[in-house]
Amino acid sequence: MVDEFIRLEGASKCYDSKKGPINAVAPMDLSINRGEFVSFLGPSGCGKSTMMMMIAGLLGCTEGSIHIDGERVVKPQTNIGIVFQNLVLVDWRDVLGNVLLQVEMRKLKVKDYETKARELLASVGLEDFLNHHPYELSGGMQQRAAFCRALVHDPPLVLMDEPLGALDAMTREQLRKDLEKLWMATGKTFVFVTHDISEAVQLSDRVIIISPRPGRVDAEFTIDLPRPRDFNVMQSDKFHHYVKEISSIFMRYGVI
Amino acid sequence: METIEIKNHQDKKHGITSFFYKWMREAYLPTLTMIFFFVLWEVLIRLLEVPRYILPAPLAIFKEFGKNFPLIWSHTLVTANETFIGFAIAVVVGVPLSICVAFSETLRRTVYVGSVALGMVPTIAFAPLFVVWFGFAFASKMVVVFWVCFFPILINGIFGFISLSDELKYFSQSTGANQITTFWKIRLPAALPQVFLGLKGGAINATIGATIAEWIGGSAGLGYYIQVATGDFNMRLALASIIMLTLVGLLLYFLVVLVEIKLIPWHESQRDNV
Repeated sequence: MVDEFIRLEGASKCYDSKKGPINAVAPMDLSINRGEFVSFLGPSGCGKSTMMMMIAGLLGCTEGSIHIDGERVVKPQTNIGIVFQNLVLVDWRDVLGNVLLQVEMRKLKVKDYETKARELLASVGLEDFLNHHPYELSGGMQQRAAFCRALVHDPPLVLMDEPLGALDAMTREQLRKDLEKLWMATGKTFVFVTHDISEAVQLSDRVIIISPRPGRVDAEFTIDLPRPRDFNVMQSDKFHHYVKEISSIFMRYGVI
Repeated sequence: METIEIKNHQDKKHGITSFFYKWMREAYLPTLTMIFFFVLWEVLIRLLEVPRYILPAPLAIFKEFGKNFPLIWSHTLVTANETFIGFAIAVVVGVPLSICVAFSETLRRTVYVGSVALGMVPTIAFAPLFVVWFGFAFASKMVVVFWVCFFPILINGIFGFISLSDELKYFSQSTGANQITTFWKIRLPAALPQVFLGLKGGAINATIGATIAEWIGGSAGLGYYIQVATGDFNMRLALASIIMLTLVGLLLYFLVVLVEIKLIPWHESQRDNV
């Protein structure tokens, strides 16, 4: 029943620097299931972004291996959608054009994807802003458009590196809802990198706690809360219990 | 409400029409400044009784300008020709070369390093050599203009084409797009603002190059004519020619800005059509 999608086997990352090698990620074994919403949660600099980049094939493993859908990752993966903290919409295209950039870069037919792009943008409330340029939008709206760009080509895997990190608290709340909605609607595998404990608990099926550098999997929490996780769920004892448990781990590290 | 999030950029139209509109609206202050400057100049010359062979008054300059217009105009055409063609060749050679250099490690270590070294040589030192090599006629002037325009265009171009944020690089890689697609869809538009910085730098240099070249070995053009007029202590004619020279430079710069507005209306420098 459990369908393994991503598998890390002893995957590690060691950077060479002028002051000697830096162990960013300790050898790591991990398995992510198809359709799962998994968060990598850890303090900044713990190597969680590096892990995501390794899964994306944008960084190579120093040791060990990563397999996606049974295939070993040896080069940049193309069957993914990717969202970064910094907004990477391009200023010379409008919102719709930015989403369709994904399609054009892949040499797919724009005609076949335009409806999909419009639907996605409408689902996050951007239907009236299709022809606005990124600099005419707020940070939250830009990031919503970036989500749509990561989804328009229908990839089975979406990787997000602190996508809400640059936003204000209220916008972040709104975008968490949007993210959950997009995930529930598409059933894709989401790998989400964050340093925000309640954000991880609110969004994820499973929260993977990464220790301070060199990053390793320290604990795992399967979040058993009903979806959609509305205000009531967020106020429940169970939710607070998860947050407390996870906080105590970071307190033990001395990071909070 | 979502609508609150929009900044008021949405009402602003881009393009040349609005550029002129804005220009008209905002031109009165610079125009007044200019008039004030000339009036002050005129008044001071009269009050202090400055001899006209040292510094003539503006009215006298304009009168001289009117009287000698056909002659000044013929020299203007010569200079404009050198300036525009030299600049155009610098663009046609400089921009593609900057792309090649940006994408080739070898070229960066050869052409780029060599260009920077050559670009550091004061133009005035090279100009006489160009006259020896390319003659007293049009060609040597054009080469000097090319020379002074080429380096800012090349160096800014290289800088523009090699700079791309890591995130956009990663995004491009994750789409599996090849170098050519990435170039047209991402690298080229991302580089354009920096390329235009180079073009504007080149445009500013262009008339300097033409003037120097004409000084060193010429029998026509505004630079040549300024020297002749100064030699005759005809400061009015010299200053009238300098005004014309400035206008040639401004025209070139203005044309570059027009193209820039057309091509990159999305860039921060253009959003308010400055």
